[in-house]
Amino acid sequence: MIRRFLAHRRYMREHRWTHTHLSEYLDEELAARDADRVAEHVSICPHCRRVLATLRRTLEGLRSLPAEPRPGLAEVVIDHLWQAP
Amino acid sequence: MRPRPTEAESVLVARARGGDRDAFEALVRRHGDRLYAVVLRFVADGDEAQEVTQEAFLRAWRSIAQFEGRSHFFTWLYRIGINEAKRRAARRPAAAVVSLNDEPIPEAPDWSDSPQTRFEHADLRRVLEHAVRALPIEYRTPLILRDIEGLSTREAAEVMELGMAAFKSRLHRARLAVRRALDEYFLEGES
Repeated sequence: MIRRFLAHRRYMREHRWTHTHLSEYLDEELAARDADRVAEHVSICPHCRRVLATLRRTLEGLRSLPAEPRPGLAEVVIDHLWQAP
Repeated sequence: MRPRPTEAESVLVARARGGDRDAFEALVRRHGDRLYAVVLRFVADGDEAQEVTQEAFLRAWRSIAQFEGRSHFFTWLYRIGINEAKRRAARRPAAAVVSLNDEPIPEAPDWSDSPQTRFEHADLRRVLEHAVRALPIEYRTPLILRDIEGLSTREAAEVMELGMAAFKSRLHRARLAVRRALDEYFLEGES
């Protein structure tokens, strides 16, 4: 009983910790030991696994958002610069 | 992606600091499009983004003597542009900013393997764009700089004048909020 309680408490601690470090994990900005910690929890937690997978997809989407060009912008800016009082 | 700083850039900045207009024009041509792309995500439309870009370069030119080169020129320029965009945003009536909800929706499907998530679909892109715009500005900024513009965490934190831990915390919450918007999108698609 106590063992199960302690295991659950450890699981929840790892769950919270992992949830707050998923971005750093995806950005490869965690120390190796912390990255292992995330990977280990994700391997046993379906919730965190889903969030991690969909967060990865979200970042792919954000990185693929196109920039809307503004043709002739530089010349307009330059004209404005030297005409300003 | 943003232009890479080069040796030539530091030369251009030094010349511009000495009042060389040609050098500053070269900096406009190098960074103008990217600055415009950044501020466009803070303001109402392309015309306003152009005005903000013009104003940012004008302010940069007038104060370039104070730029000491301790940071990249573009991080300094982005800071000027974003501050100008925020100043204008504050003058407008409050936009429909959603509260930051970054909790996953339990009943949402796992869309990570869906072919739709290649983000080729215009409606999916619209959902993403809308989710980014709906973020409170202090959360939108890190997401735009880091994930859309491709700055490093250190560079983006520098633009925002935030410590790394504070920057990462905001970035993570912003990403989770956008992720949740996609949960909602796919959940609606199922119903």
